[in-house]
Amino acid sequence: MTRGDSLSRRLLVWLLLPLLVLGSLMLLQAWFEARRTADRAFDRLLEAASLAIAEQVQWQDDRLWLDLPPAALEMLATDAEERVFYSLVDRRGRMITGNAELPGDDREAVSDDDTLLYRDVTWQGLSLRQGVRRTRLEDWQLREPFEVRVAHSREGRDALAAELWRANLAMILAMAALAIVALLLAIRTALAPLTRLRRAIRSRDPRTLAPLELRLPRELAELRDTVNDLLARMRRVRANQERFIGDASHQLRTPLAGLSARAELALRQDDPVRWREALVAMQATSTRTARLAMQLLSLTRLANPEYRPERAPLSLNAIAREAVREHWTACHRAGVDLGVASAAADVEILGIDWQLAEALGNLIDNARRYGARHVTIRVGEQPPSLAVEDDGPGIPAARRTLMLRPFHRDRDDLEGSGLGLAIVDGIARTHGARLAMSAGPGGVGLRVTLRFPGDTP
Amino acid sequence: MSPRRPSMTPFLRRAGRRRLAWLLAFPLALPLTFLLAFSLAIPAVHAEESLRYPATPGGDATSALVIHGALDLPQVRPLLDAFHRDHPQFAIHYRNLTTLALHERFLKAPAEADVLISSAMPWQYRLANDGQAQPLQTPAARRWPAWARWRSELFAVTFEPIVMVVNEAIIERFGEVRSHADLLALLERQSESLRGRVVTYDPAISGAGYTYAIEESRLSPRYWELVAALGEAEAALAGTTGEMLEGLIEGRYLVGYNLLGSYARERLADHPRLKIVVPEDYALVTQRLALVPRLAPHPEAARRFLDYLIGETGQGVLARETTLGAIHPSLEGPGTAAALRRQRGEALRPITLGPGLLATLDDLKREALLTRWRREFMRRQRR
Repeated sequence: MTRGDSLSRRLLVWLLLPLLVLGSLMLLQAWFEARRTADRAFDRLLEAASLAIAEQVQWQDDRLWLDLPPAALEMLATDAEERVFYSLVDRRGRMITGNAELPGDDREAVSDDDTLLYRDVTWQGLSLRQGVRRTRLEDWQLREPFEVRVAHSREGRDALAAELWRANLAMILAMAALAIVALLLAIRTALAPLTRLRRAIRSRDPRTLAPLELRLPRELAELRDTVNDLLARMRRVRANQERFIGDASHQLRTPLAGLSARAELALRQDDPVRWREALVAMQATSTRTARLAMQLLSLTRLANPEYRPERAPLSLNAIAREAVREHWTACHRAGVDLGVASAAADVEILGIDWQLAEALGNLIDNARRYGARHVTIRVGEQPPSLAVEDDGPGIPAARRTLMLRPFHRDRDDLEGSGLGLAIVDGIARTHGARLAMSAGPGGVGLRVTLRFPGDTP
Repeated sequence: MSPRRPSMTPFLRRAGRRRLAWLLAFPLALPLTFLLAFSLAIPAVHAEESLRYPATPGGDATSALVIHGALDLPQVRPLLDAFHRDHPQFAIHYRNLTTLALHERFLKAPAEADVLISSAMPWQYRLANDGQAQPLQTPAARRWPAWARWRSELFAVTFEPIVMVVNEAIIERFGEVRSHADLLALLERQSESLRGRVVTYDPAISGAGYTYAIEESRLSPRYWELVAALGEAEAALAGTTGEMLEGLIEGRYLVGYNLLGSYARERLADHPRLKIVVPEDYALVTQRLALVPRLAPHPEAARRFLDYLIGETGQGVLARETTLGAIHPSLEGPGTAAALRRQRGEALRPITLGPGLLATLDDLKREALLTRWRREFMRRQRR
């Protein structure tokens, strides 16, 4: 689950990262909040102490007078034993009394009345929190303004802030733990259908091609349907194969049975002349059977999607002429006129020469067998094409596609395997070419055209 | 006023004169004179008393150790002897100074001394409060009772009750004097026969006296009754415990009020007629405060010494061989805070080591208190 690239890890990372950032922000915020709270709490001490001092300020002998209450200073120190500073400053900013010349606070008072200003100061290298109380003596006649400045070090505040923060930290950590647990559960739940799909596929009988029946979320249902489509295609392919094998064995069984019967018949007789006749017939049959087996073999090879032979540049004119040269004798003997109509320019395609030769051979053979008198091999330029035309009986348009099926024969009376056109179709597919059948020139006969994908100049 | 004791006359004369003169001089009292006044029990005669211990070259690296203390040589010697025995690598130089000299010297040269020991609690506290002390982080320091230290910078090392000294003659004539209440009753009843025979601190010239006055006035308003009674009996006012003890030993005074117990015990050991009374109703307890200055030249040695001083060894020496009173909680028996507490219990009022001490140092506060003190002291005299 954690090794390599994994969906759950991706989810975990992309959910945890924002969570982590969010958590850090919360911790930061909690720290500032804790400090603020601690300051608020401890500023009350500054307030109380400065008030206690201010209350003792009097006007005596024409000057400010203070009977400092020790409790006011003790108030400023908590268990944290803070350092404590105070000073009393008159209207001109002169220090009347105190244990430290604390700095003033330049901020404007909000009101003319009693005001208290807090801030953090650094005094002689000590980090202090200072409270400045601006007030005035209210006597019968006298209104003398003065300032009481008190300050203490931050130990108590820091301790309280740390304590508050730790409490928050515990809460945030607990929340984070819960969030992570929830996250893990959510990821597991979300990915559970995937596991079910995997299990369903793994637990199938390897031979079955039945579609997957499984309720899945939408995203995975699409995947399941795609797999089912693939399975359906494979089912069709297998059905084809099974039929092909059935047909092939049937096709081979017939001539073999014929051979066997002929031999048996011949063996019952003693006349060597009969034997010879039987042997001649048997030889013809076995030659046909051998050819059939050859065709089956090449069809199988063509049907094999793994088989991808190297393609080389070929001249279609040369292929056509070569085919004529090869089949001319046989045709001539059968009284068929075989010719070639080459293209004016040389047409080149990428292809496999022996396959094209085989395709042409099959087409010529078919034409001859089905009673054509004239057969022409035509090379086309735009797009590059090879066509075989004959003036035989032709095939009605409705049945032409059927002819591409292996072992389908238009007429049962003629000898032939029914594989010829199927093989041509296979070769066309190997070359990425389209096989088209139409009527021959003048509406008679048949024209079979291989149109190669055009690198049209 | 015996001519055979010429050394005593200046004190007496000065004391007598002062009683009249201070009324006039007082408003002029400045912060500096206040500082001047903070010479505690040490007679101001010696210019500089000091003790030196050479370092014994040993395995450890030698180091100097400079101690400034307001602690008489007989009291400090056993402490230093024991420390030097255990740590011969330190070349110790102890200077015995008055609390005033000690403080001024520190302000002038903050990097001179490694350890300051002084009974002027407010001043020592102020130094620590201002961040002039460095913390001592040792197990002994952490175990030290919280009431006897401030942060880990300031340590109370002694436990010295403030006592009365009563001549047996008084007890024989007027009965026991066991408490402040007894003393007040005695003064009020016998103000005529005790006229001029009672001695106490002059808070105007003695910092210690002033500190006690401030603490006592915070404890109870009845303190002012006592001041008035002392005034009525025309009590003599002295600057140091030493002065008071001299007068008591000579028989010029029959009752001494607010003497430093540790010095009284030491000086009166062979004067059985003079009885030391730790008051039963309340007894202030003063403590000598020790600190290591932030700029101490030999901080390591200083920390070792302070650690020793608050450790069981140093406190043991303090309990056995001095009259200063040991604080260490695990020590029992005579000369310890524990023993004194058992004897007086709740009545003991150690001066709180806290920011309240800073109020003691406030100039206006001092003026206000001394004005009040003077008024109370003169109240019945005027009548």
